[in-house]
Amino acid sequence: MIKVEGLTRKYGAFTAVDDVSFVAEPGRVTGFLGPNGAGKTTTMRVMVGLTPATHGHVTIGGHLYQDIPNPGLHVGVLLDASAQHAGRTGREILTLGAKTMGLPASRVDEMLELVSLSDTEAKRRLRNYSLGMKQRLGIAHALLGDPSVLILDEPANGLDPAGIRWMRGLLKGYAERGGTVLLSSHLLHEVEIIADEMILIGRGKIVAQGSKEALLADADHSTTLVTSLDNDLLGKALEHKGYGVSAAGSGLRVDAAPVDVGRVAADNTIVLTDLRSADGGLEDLFLALTSETQRDVLPEGAQA
Amino acid sequence: MSSTGMSSTGALGQIDIHANPPVPMSRLVQVEARKAMDTRAGRWFAVSILGLVLVVEVIYALVAEDFDKDYSDFLSIAGGVLGYFLPILIIMLVTSEASQRNGLVTFTLEPRRPRVVVAKFVAGLVLAVGVMVMGAVMALLGTLFGIATGGSPEWSVDANLFFNGFVLANVIGVFIGFAIAMLLMNTAAAIVGYFAYSLILPIAVGILAALSSWFEGVAPWIEFNTAQTPLFMGDYQPSGEEWAQIAVSGTIWLIIPLVLGTMRLLRIEFK
Repeated sequence: MIKVEGLTRKYGAFTAVDDVSFVAEPGRVTGFLGPNGAGKTTTMRVMVGLTPATHGHVTIGGHLYQDIPNPGLHVGVLLDASAQHAGRTGREILTLGAKTMGLPASRVDEMLELVSLSDTEAKRRLRNYSLGMKQRLGIAHALLGDPSVLILDEPANGLDPAGIRWMRGLLKGYAERGGTVLLSSHLLHEVEIIADEMILIGRGKIVAQGSKEALLADADHSTTLVTSLDNDLLGKALEHKGYGVSAAGSGLRVDAAPVDVGRVAADNTIVLTDLRSADGGLEDLFLALTSETQRDVLPEGAQA
Repeated sequence: MSSTGMSSTGALGQIDIHANPPVPMSRLVQVEARKAMDTRAGRWFAVSILGLVLVVEVIYALVAEDFDKDYSDFLSIAGGVLGYFLPILIIMLVTSEASQRNGLVTFTLEPRRPRVVVAKFVAGLVLAVGVMVMGAVMALLGTLFGIATGGSPEWSVDANLFFNGFVLANVIGVFIGFAIAMLLMNTAAAIVGYFAYSLILPIAVGILAALSSWFEGVAPWIEFNTAQTPLFMGDYQPSGEEWAQIAVSGTIWLIIPLVLGTMRLLRIEFK
């Protein structure tokens, strides 16, 4: 279990992390989601003692990271897969980790096999690795000590679709066996498919947290995309009810919730071929919640 | 995962910190020593130093007068060459944590940084002793080559000279390299800094001393290389004043950088 309490980290006048509190529970994958520079990495760095907190603290399994003896056996960490000596082979990097933790050399082979790095690949030097291979090696390094907690910063970065699917299975299985997983990403879809819980962060502050369902339940569904066999009639009926209607592709965009649109269609016995909420689900929610922290101003109504 | 695992987590995701002992210092030292040798750069640098020692020994055997071909002569040459390059091996061991960014992993696996500092230092000394032993062997080969080129060497070595000129001088060099490395935390800058200290500084001080008799008196107090010179002069015993000069200049160039460098390493944010 990871418990972040009132964590603040300032660099001079700049506040990278601003009074952040959340809990990552065992048995669940917690996604840490936010745009670039939102404070995800800084929060994770404070967790493992690489960066001191200005206020607040983080405990892992009830202890400060610095107080856990031989922490590699309890907490698996991947902060930056490229942060390794470029002149070392993949196998050597894992060997150094295994030796520090006091693990047998066989553990290195097990981990290489787990992340599907072949013998030849393991003998190559890190500078010749693709980003995806570095990520696999980094995940292998994090899992070396068979930890109960995993802290992974952008682990899916650089993985191909098959690799992302593999990682999803790996982390789900890991959480099902009782492990705690915290993974960060700036890509919503990545987190959406892996995480049970989500923490949304923007400009150092947590803007929302909860399960995907809970987060979506809070979002208001006030715009609907609808297509019917008689769009003209449906449009008139909706306008008659006082809803704003505009053409959108082969259908209509209506300023009303899907249930209201469906009711109008039923009243007028119009056959609907498509009816859905026009807000992009979590993505719109995410963009809305972090809008003031976005670097890029999105055009009105744009779907990212 | 192949193992059943996660035995370290009890109820409510708590970690039992008594489940396993801390990483023993001996293991940290082993890992640090391994890190100095497990890259091409590190390995070839060590081999190159020894190769250079051998080359210099052979050249010396060819050009020196026959009565200057004692083992102690060859030993002091080996010591001189090592003195210039051994600290660089230590510098690379320390600065790679930041330059190559593996400090992220090093200080995550052992967040108690003072222990890593100690481990690196001990590993550096172990490596230095290893290279010195090899250097003494090179000196032996040089002496044998000296016989082949007409020398009839004296094999005995003055213990005092051996310790001061070969062991102590190189250990001081390792300390200095360690201090500069921690202070600058950048491989290139630290190597430049080390050569500025060991090559440029003595020349600059020498020139100033030649121009000003006042500065000539001050120089051995503030310039560590100059202050150490009495250590390497045959069976000469440094006087009380000379020891004091070593202590004062050593404080300036060794103790202060070592303290500041350690403080920096303990606080620096490895990115």
